[in-house]
Amino acid sequence: MKPIVSCKGITKIFGKGDLAVHALRGIDLEIMEGDFATLAGPSGSGKTTLLNTVGALDHPTAGEVIVDGQNLNGLNKSELSDLRLNKIGFIFQAYNLVPVLSARENVEFVLRLLRVEPSERRRRADEALAEVGLQGMEARRPSALSGGQQQRVAIARALVARPGIVLADEPTANLDSTTTKELVDLMYRLNQESGITFLIGTHDPRVMEHSKRHIEMTDGQIESDTRG
Amino acid sequence: METLKLLAPLAWRNLWRNPRRTIITLFVVSVGLWSILAVASFISAWAQSSRDATLRLLIAQGQIHAEGYMDDPNISNLMPPPNEALIAALNSPDISNWAVRLELPGVVQSEYKTLPISLTGVDPEAERRISSIPSKIVEGRYLNGVEDDSAVIGLNLAKRLKTALGRRIILMVTAEDGWLEERSFDVVGIYDADTAFEDTYIFTGRSPMQEMVGVGDKIAEIAFEVPEDAALAGVIERLRAAAPGLDVREWRKISLIMGAMDATMGGVVFIWMAVMMVMISIGVINTQLMAVFERTHEFGLLRALGFKSRHVLWLVTLESILLIGLGVLLGMLAGAATVWGLSDGIDLSAFGQALEAFKAGDTLYLEVNASDYIIFPLAIWALGVLVALWPAYRAQKISPVEAMRQAT
Repeated sequence: MKPIVSCKGITKIFGKGDLAVHALRGIDLEIMEGDFATLAGPSGSGKTTLLNTVGALDHPTAGEVIVDGQNLNGLNKSELSDLRLNKIGFIFQAYNLVPVLSARENVEFVLRLLRVEPSERRRRADEALAEVGLQGMEARRPSALSGGQQQRVAIARALVARPGIVLADEPTANLDSTTTKELVDLMYRLNQESGITFLIGTHDPRVMEHSKRHIEMTDGQIESDTRG
Repeated sequence: METLKLLAPLAWRNLWRNPRRTIITLFVVSVGLWSILAVASFISAWAQSSRDATLRLLIAQGQIHAEGYMDDPNISNLMPPPNEALIAALNSPDISNWAVRLELPGVVQSEYKTLPISLTGVDPEAERRISSIPSKIVEGRYLNGVEDDSAVIGLNLAKRLKTALGRRIILMVTAEDGWLEERSFDVVGIYDADTAFEDTYIFTGRSPMQEMVGVGDKIAEIAFEVPEDAALAGVIERLRAAAPGLDVREWRKISLIMGAMDATMGGVVFIWMAVMMVMISIGVINTQLMAVFERTHEFGLLRALGFKSRHVLWLVTLESILLIGLGVLLGMLAGAATVWGLSDGIDLSAFGQALEAFKAGDTLYLEVNASDYIIFPLAIWALGVLVALWPAYRAQKISPVEAMRQAT
């Protein structure tokens, strides 16, 4: 297996002088294709900053990030947008969907940006929604879906363009235990069946139970990186 | 095109996320435009009415004089009656009516008072076609013919002279020989126009006046009327060609106040548009800034999904285009409906005396001016979208990670 993400000596500092906060302190990390990795650690440990950096949403202060063979250093905003569109799927903690679009339209949105033909777009969006168990709910707006269903739509959207990696930041934070289990089972199944790489930032033990690789962070550094 | 297909439905739906705010903005834009269109129609109607009323009194749409008469309207600046070439030009189809007058400054005297006036010798038949004075007689009668040696005076002048119908007044005018000629006239009619006009003009038959001042068949002016004001410039040129050496002027150069009013009416509408534009701009900027601030996280999400910053700029701008466009459409409909609803005219007779200074008629007839419905809506739309570029620019500058951080 080859690495889908390589981080080399990533440092991220917010602020300057006495007010400087070192969010990441020289992170070296490789996420391999097909990984189902969890990134854990207490609040302020740097999980979200690392996910944002890997997801081309934020620039590291030093070091380099390579996603699917492409070094993010030197890419302009537009190129970073293209990279996110083509290679990365995102699932966030909350407010994950565009409220004025239906479930199908939210999933189709990424395909529209990729200029996929309308009939193909619709077929793939419906397939993705069916894959996450939302068949029959395609026309519903986010406000007519439960929190768990909304996260399923977000998963379908993250997967529909077949990205190299899906980055999820606390995807179960606002969900009850039953919904959390269903969602984690779903992501795990998609990882097993389709080989999609997941890197999930979480401190939820129910998510960690399923991980094939567990990365623990403290104070902007990787404390442990275990497979099991 | 593909980007527009992606953004347009999203922009339209975004407009209705906060219906109350959208409706308030639509209200501001549409009422603003409606008021501009209504004010434009009203001022246009008022200007038209005021112009028509004033021109119909005596000025008509143009006049011909001897050179120098307009600067010094005395007996030495008279001109001969129109020759054949000029009569032919005056009888052309693009001139609807014309009348020959002898008008000289003079003095009127009653038993109680002596006042300066302008004595005007007219051909009553021609005047009935070109002037509204014959129809404004409130007591007695108008002049019977060009030989009628009676006098028709204004209502206010009658009051000031303490004279009345059937009484005699003395009129004094400088004659051809330079001596002051005086003659008594029977007051056979009293007309009701505006006060300043009533105080100035006394009418009598042209022949007795010519005979009184000893000028033979000389005249002071030829007033003419054209069916369409737009054709006036061409008519003036043709008359100048037919009457070389004479001073042919359009009404704007005769009544400078009327000309200035005509020129400034459009300016009033533009001032009103500027005021409305400031209000609309404040409304649009406020709405779009609120909409951008409320959706900061969403813009971050869209950027994370692969939206480019220019897509955000286009999205917010498109929302402004749709919002202001819809407001403009409603404003146009409301403006047209208002004009249509008042197509029977606005009756101002109750304000007759108060509005006398504006010289408008008793009824204003509003009309839809096609150019108003192109220029003003386009201006509002373009300027509205222009000011909304600022919120759109701010939305474009939102960093995705900052936006996501704000909401989590």
